[in-house]
Amino acid sequence: MGGARPVSGLAPNGHAHGHGLDLVPLRSLVEEAVDIRFALAPGDRVIAEEGSVVTVGVQLAERFRDTVLAATTVPESEDARPGERWTPTDAPVRRGPSRRPARRTGGELLFPWRDGWRVASGEHADPLEAPIGGIVREVRPGVGIVVRAAGRALRGIVALGGPTRGRLKLAAGPSGELRPGGLDVGLAGTILVVGARVDAETLTRARAMGVRGIVVAGLPSKERRDWIASEARQKAALHRLPPFAVLVLDGALRRSIAGPVVGLLEALEGREVAIVNDPPALVFDEPDLDVADPPPDLVRVRSGPDAGREGRWVASLGPRRFAHGIQLEAAQVRFAEGPAVVPVGDLERFCVVSPRAE
Amino acid sequence: MTRDPRAFFALDIGAATASATLVARLAGRWRLLGTLALPAAVGSAVVRRQLVERLIHADPGMAAAIGADPEALDRIPTVTVRSGTPRRLAVVAASERSLAPLRRVAVQTGWAVTSGSAATLDPLAMSRMLLDPGVDAVLAGAGDPPGADERGALPELGALVAAVAERRPDLTIILAGALTDELARFGDVGARPGEVLLGAAASATTDGHGLAELITELALPADDSRRAAISGLATLADLTARRVEYVEIGYDSGVRAIADPTLGRDEPVVQSAIIVDAALVPPEPDDAVLDHVLRWSTLQLDRHRLRDRLRELRITPWADAAGDGAALRLAAARAALGRLLEATDGMDRGVQPDLVVAGGGAWAVAPGPIITLAMADVLRRPGATQYAFDHARLLGPLGSIADHDERRAVMSDLADDLLIPLGSVVTPAGLRSGRSAGRLVVHSESGDTEIDLVPGALELVDLAPGQTAVADFRFRDSVRLGGKGRQFEVEVAGGLGGLLVDLRDVPLRLPERHDRRREQLETWQAALWAGLDR
Repeated sequence: MGGARPVSGLAPNGHAHGHGLDLVPLRSLVEEAVDIRFALAPGDRVIAEEGSVVTVGVQLAERFRDTVLAATTVPESEDARPGERWTPTDAPVRRGPSRRPARRTGGELLFPWRDGWRVASGEHADPLEAPIGGIVREVRPGVGIVVRAAGRALRGIVALGGPTRGRLKLAAGPSGELRPGGLDVGLAGTILVVGARVDAETLTRARAMGVRGIVVAGLPSKERRDWIASEARQKAALHRLPPFAVLVLDGALRRSIAGPVVGLLEALEGREVAIVNDPPALVFDEPDLDVADPPPDLVRVRSGPDAGREGRWVASLGPRRFAHGIQLEAAQVRFAEGPAVVPVGDLERFCVVSPRAE
Repeated sequence: MTRDPRAFFALDIGAATASATLVARLAGRWRLLGTLALPAAVGSAVVRRQLVERLIHADPGMAAAIGADPEALDRIPTVTVRSGTPRRLAVVAASERSLAPLRRVAVQTGWAVTSGSAATLDPLAMSRMLLDPGVDAVLAGAGDPPGADERGALPELGALVAAVAERRPDLTIILAGALTDELARFGDVGARPGEVLLGAAASATTDGHGLAELITELALPADDSRRAAISGLATLADLTARRVEYVEIGYDSGVRAIADPTLGRDEPVVQSAIIVDAALVPPEPDDAVLDHVLRWSTLQLDRHRLRDRLRELRITPWADAAGDGAALRLAAARAALGRLLEATDGMDRGVQPDLVVAGGGAWAVAPGPIITLAMADVLRRPGATQYAFDHARLLGPLGSIADHDERRAVMSDLADDLLIPLGSVVTPAGLRSGRSAGRLVVHSESGDTEIDLVPGALELVDLAPGQTAVADFRFRDSVRLGGKGRQFEVEVAGGLGGLLVDLRDVPLRLPERHDRRREQLETWQAALWAGLDR
């Protein structure tokens, strides 16, 4: 592999290890029974109830954009507790001939202070809808809602924006890149798999066209920063677009989406999936979908100059010297272009569901 | 350990690395037979099995003698230490003045810290901070007695924290100083799953020692590798009768500890700090981190690209470890070491250690002499110091042996294997710029070596591990080298990097322009980095 030429001939113990595939970290393609957390802030109004079953699109909570601190008094007869909602029972008195009902502002009780309570309340609410079905396992006002997802999840390293839901579509090859010109309004409502990398301009345009989400192998830091700033501006706007999320599968550098992951995404194409933030994952509820086990000797270069290359494990070689005289555990891997010696630490392999952690 | 074992595994299982060392009793003393470190994701069983298989291949007789069998790994006792994701502590106080010492104590005890005071955060923002699901514990404190600037805000702060405690019963709450008077607001504290603890006030003068002990216990479990390494360091200082400093740069934190030998006292004198911000690469490298790394980087990368590479290093710490990746690690390690020193400023109290031990995954694949140079680049202390590397990550596991005498006996036996000697660094300060500052003659078993001392240069003298020599310095003008003077005779020990005479500025001055700085760093590095492809 480029930049990692072996200098020494044989392993110190005199021969190439014939096995040793277990030296390569195993990455699971899907996870089952995933608990998904939806973050809430003080002042947000919880709608979901603990233990209830939620379906896709059910409103879990209302998130307020511009929460402010207020003070209120609670009648002594009320057993008020921190985190509870408070709605004034008496409407403010209106003068004049208006027939409109008076607005009753309420909020979330934060803590008792002096003769009353400090309250967090907001004006503009955004609905938080469940992008997945499942069972509500925990509800904590001001903290979050945890839902045990009914489906399975493909993990990424980070999800920005969201949560969101849409029909999965492969818009570029695993090592390709989607440019703004490749987007059109016909893609509205979809979650696009866009290959090796994507830029902020494409993300912004996709959001404006009604695309619901992007799945990409690598998102460079500059594009990430620019898009987060754009998303913050959009969220502050009065006219809100539907939720949009970016799921990054691998890291910040350009690399192909892993073959086994591509296989899974291809199988999911055309089906409804969701992107959630915590944990960052693509969630799908397709019980009939059989996820094929990748070949056990398939390894992928996870990082470094050759990131994204895939090959077949040949043998563990023990410690070898690589570029700049760095000694690392090495392995022989057969790539399409021929065999190469690769640091074991650069590799990963795949299984459908990971064995229980140690 | 079991009674009278023939061998044992020492395991250090970190967030990034699983390291196993096989130690066996041979000819009446403990010896290190082999060590192996792999990505933590492969699991310690795989690392142990590999180690045993390699031992069997190298020396089947010895393997049989100690009962090493890859199919029966569990028959060999293990001493295990671990380190994991740092817990998050939210620190709140009534005023910025009272927040500062609390924050300092929290930052030095292995917590990831978020903080704010009633002076800068409104109750809504503070509630949001404390209710964040990532927060594991809350430290709310005040002076004792409270200062005039905090007295008025304490009842409201107490009410706010008590409400958070009610909403998140799992949260551990620590009340310190005068805020302990607000305990009644927390109701029946025995009935909630999370503890409510009372601590002493932290002040700018006392550093809040009692509070530090309390929150250290909460931050790190008993088998934490960093706590154990600090215990191991105390034993090492005692065994060697030397003042020893330990600096570890790991995936999730940096550790700095200084231990003095007991010399007849009952308790060893150890100062230590575990700093989460001194991790090799923080989870979200901000501009300050980027600037620090850029200062030490020899790579031709712009800021965006460097941030990408740092993110990748954080995500896959074992990948891309050769070539440019090695240079990136060293730049990140120097930057982290700088953050560690900054956060522990004043710990050494101006007394130079005799031995500095480097530890942690940041140095795991770096060539020995380069570790010495990286440390010398950042530490910049006038004087002579010996450097060593905890190559097998043994200090933690051995430090976790509860019985003091047993720990001391094992470490005494392993003294020659425990640390790799990196060499000695002599750093005179106060050199006047010019063509020559004087002469150095190194008297060693292999003969005398004479060197002209050129200010700004790095001079390297071959001195193999195990060798000692006397370095006879004769300067033209008075310099600082321990004390102040013109003639010094310094006893030095060899190592992988030999003797490094560091005639560069103290503190180090680097060119402002990135290209010239990079060239300068590369020149220094090339002199010590065998195999560096330029």
